[in-house]
Amino acid sequence: MTPGLRRLYVPRPVKVEADSTGQPTSVDGVAVEAVREEWVVEDRWWTPHPLGRHYFELALADGRNLVVFRSIVSKRWYRQRA
Amino acid sequence: MEVACVLIPDSALADPVEAGEQTERLLRRLERIGAAVESERAGEAFFSLDGLRGLYGGESAGVLAAARRAAEIEVRIGVAPTRFAAHAAAQRETIVPPPAAADFLAALPVSTLVGRLELPPREAGSLVETMRRLGIETLGTLGAIPADLVADRFGPPGLEALRLARGEQEPLRPRHPHEELAEEVELPEGAAGGQLEHALRLLVARLLAAPQRKGRTLLGLRLGAVLSGGGSWSVDQGLGRPTASARTLRAVLMPRLETLPGPVAALRLRALGLGPQVGDQLELSVRGEEHRRRRLAEAIREVRAAQGAGSLLTIVPLDSASRFPERRAMLTPSPDR
Repeated sequence: MTPGLRRLYVPRPVKVEADSTGQPTSVDGVAVEAVREEWVVEDRWWTPHPLGRHYFELALADGRNLVVFRSIVSKRWYRQRA
Repeated sequence: MEVACVLIPDSALADPVEAGEQTERLLRRLERIGAAVESERAGEAFFSLDGLRGLYGGESAGVLAAARRAAEIEVRIGVAPTRFAAHAAAQRETIVPPPAAADFLAALPVSTLVGRLELPPREAGSLVETMRRLGIETLGTLGAIPADLVADRFGPPGLEALRLARGEQEPLRPRHPHEELAEEVELPEGAAGGQLEHALRLLVARLLAAPQRKGRTLLGLRLGAVLSGGGSWSVDQGLGRPTASARTLRAVLMPRLETLPGPVAALRLRALGLGPQVGDQLELSVRGEEHRRRRLAEAIREVRAAQGAGSLLTIVPLDSASRFPERRAMLTPSPDR
């Protein structure tokens, strides 16, 4: 990253519990009320550093709407504003 | 006078844009030890030792040691009374005291002139080849020929060669030291088209916002790029008159993007010269829009003075259609308006 610049909407690690099908059931201990939408984005698959993300737009039990994704490469979960 | 020449090895100068960057870094490092440097070609720097000895123990060796330390990279250094002789001395890593300069030059082959004459390399090579065919193998032989004969046979380039061979050269013309004013933005792999225009907007904004500009105008710019497919590219852009207008800078630089040979991994913008402060320039009229812009600029300066240079940020779109949200926009310091 160029010094002094700051990216917007940078992914932040988040703790997500998922069921056996990979669907999120809770985020940071808050239950998932509904999965509103999900989609997969892949890019740079032709490079040594491919990007692959399974996104979920969630409605949580505390009323928040949240977008999280699971990295297909690292298998870790992140939340992201967009 | 004793002139020091500092050379970056050719192996480090393969890429022309990187060579320019590396030379600029070398010049700045030498300026930090107090040297008034001259450099007209990539990979080389000249400065006078006179006046510096007092700072470094009274001897030339002290100055040269300081220069070598300051360079931070492997360099070859030579010393001689003129820049031409100093260049030849640097290639041999030797010090030529003034009394020995004539003998040093006389022993050099005429091929030493190639690259040092104000001629394209091919023409310089042709001139040297002609000299050789006529039996002029060394600078000593050339220097012994009367000037009128050299002028008759070789014209002005021959006379220039003769002056160099005789150790006659005008004094150094050191540049005025100035602060580094350059910005770079790395781009998602293979950026092109609209993404590049956004990146250029970002660079212009960052350059104008840089604290070291201190309100001064710009006289010229160098736009450079690291290409995704390897290699680099750069172009120098004069501005006609000093300006610090983001709109003007964008207007002159945007068309340059069309000449890029391929997708870009990083874009760079460097100020080539700084002019008077914005407030020193005369304006014919001040319209309402300009008045509001000035009040806004004043407000920005006040906030920045109170809260620090990084307190005001502008959102700059990079690739608003990207499927990865973090690639869509960046925050950058707000420029002075």
